[in-house]
Amino acid sequence: GQRQLLPLAPALRARLVAAGFQTAQELLDTGPCGLSKEIGISKEEALEALQVVRQECHSDATQTAGAPGTSRKCTALELLEQEQAQGFIITFCSALDNILGGGVQLTKITEICGEPGVGKTQLCMQLAVDVQIPECFGGLAGEAVFIDTEGSFMVDRVVDVATACVQHCQLIAEAHQEEDHLKALETFSLESILSHIYYFRCRDYIELLAQVYLLPDFLSEHSKVRLVVIDGIAFPFRHDFEDLSLRTRLLNGLAQQLIIVANDHKAAVILTNQMTTRIGQSQSTLVPALGESWGHAATVRLIFHWDNNQRLATLYKSPSQKESTIPYHITPHGFRDVQPPAVTQNPEGTELNPRKRPRREEEK
Amino acid sequence: MAPKKLRRARLSQELCERLSRYQITTCQDFLCLSLLDLMKVTGQSYRNVQKLLCKVSLACAPKMQTAYEMKVRRAVNPSSAFLSTSLHGLDKVLHGGVPCGSLTEITSPPGCGKTQFCIMMSVLATLPVSMGGLDGAVIYIDTESAFSAERLVEIAGNRFPAYFDSDEKLFSMTRSIYLYRELTCGSVLKRIKSLEEEIISKKVKLIIIDSVASVVRKEFDTKLQGNLTERSNFLARGASLLKYLAEEFSIPDPAFCLFPKCSLREPA
Repeated sequence: GQRQLLPLAPALRARLVAAGFQTAQELLDTGPCGLSKEIGISKEEALEALQVVRQECHSDATQTAGAPGTSRKCTALELLEQEQAQGFIITFCSALDNILGGGVQLTKITEICGEPGVGKTQLCMQLAVDVQIPECFGGLAGEAVFIDTEGSFMVDRVVDVATACVQHCQLIAEAHQEEDHLKALETFSLESILSHIYYFRCRDYIELLAQVYLLPDFLSEHSKVRLVVIDGIAFPFRHDFEDLSLRTRLLNGLAQQLIIVANDHKAAVILTNQMTTRIGQSQSTLVPALGESWGHAATVRLIFHWDNNQRLATLYKSPSQKESTIPYHITPHGFRDVQPPAVTQNPEGTELNPRKRPRREEEK
Repeated sequence: MAPKKLRRARLSQELCERLSRYQITTCQDFLCLSLLDLMKVTGQSYRNVQKLLCKVSLACAPKMQTAYEMKVRRAVNPSSAFLSTSLHGLDKVLHGGVPCGSLTEITSPPGCGKTQFCIMMSVLATLPVSMGGLDGAVIYIDTESAFSAERLVEIAGNRFPAYFDSDEKLFSMTRSIYLYRELTCGSVLKRIKSLEEEIISKKVKLIIIDSVASVVRKEFDTKLQGNLTERSNFLARGASLLKYLAEEFSIPDPAFCLFPKCSLREPA
């Protein structure tokens, strides 16, 4: 290349020339430790020199088009500040919010596993409403994407849940009589809540794959979305898959894309999963479906199950909260605490014996 | 529901030809490949492959609707949202009756009356809308040869003597009930797959399968380890086909199962 004069101190330059260095690239390739040894200067001086050289070279070089995005790096302190400012989507069941550390976290994937009828879709519908609560009432004023693979989404039920949520906010507004509360209620209505739940019915795994590929663009166009629900991640993958390695690869790809979506768009991703039977030596147990490698996909894992007639939620996996079990109710108004709210610990393992549930004997 | 060919995803002719040399002809094939494989077979850059993925996904992805639009659509036609069972207490608990557009499962130990219930629902579905029916035909898939036409006529005549006041009315009702006897899982699945056209041509408003469990238990002994996956496979595939039909045509789809006193899933 061209011969330029680098803005280095003359003494330094003399030493470099004496040592036989001819091009800037050579200097860069040697590195600060090698350079300091070779020309007899301290490591800090060598580093300074190299930084000067690098700056000179970059100001000349043309930027290559389409460079990949710089990797995000930050200190743990910056991350701590981000995490503390992070929003949560409340569930309206204070016991569940407590064990989750405030509610369902944004930028993370939360998986809810459980048998049919235990309340997974109920919680999803509740969250699709709760994410829209205005900021003055403690919400995120967001919108929701609901991807349904099993057809479990019931509009009439969402109407019940949304109506109860609006009434709850109205009670708060009446009690406090603040202006921003009353203003927010003007636009927080049943109609607006329903209009901001974007519903996609995916009939098979191809429709699901396609929809997840299109999610980033959709979320860029609808920047207020703070919740993505995939109700029934297992259902499309449990049949028509002779090639299990393909299934694993596709699921891993899905998980990766969802992590990116959650991070880039500051959204919470909720997945619901079925339970399957693992045939053991002496007994069979219920475990989350889709295999062991899928267990790594979600950051937070909740298992919903029955104990006699009481519904329970167990926090099974979380990087920051400890494992606990709490009871919950499904009421006409939605997902709620058991009165009075109680938090109980679950010291035993989390593999659940289906025989402890006399209420429903039959299983698929 | 066969996989869509790539030509219909608006990819260029040239690209389709190139891909077909690698045996990639459907959107399904395309979307199942990893990014690296896609770059290799298309010969295009990372960026362009992303764009192609979006294009193919657009051809396969479902249409978006807001929950509000769904509510409005249901409100437009409330009477066709449920099929009343004619049992007041049951209708109350179900908020109207057997819901249209989704699968309903009925289970019980033997002898409780599931088949009788099915037969009664068949009569109800053929009744005019003014009487709480769906004014349509019924497809009845019978895996146990339990259906009795005589019983059907008996129920209709006794339950609705004012409506079925002539033999002609009774025979017209029986003509709208299409009975299929299927004795294996494979034939049940095949029958379900063929239903789409029948539903349209015969104006079917109710599909009954009596019963799913009997045909599954005959073929899959759950004591044998490998059978559990195959059985789940069959059930899942059947369920998703039925759901597709139920939603597409907004028909109620009671799929009846027969369960004995002990659990169907027995320990190995």
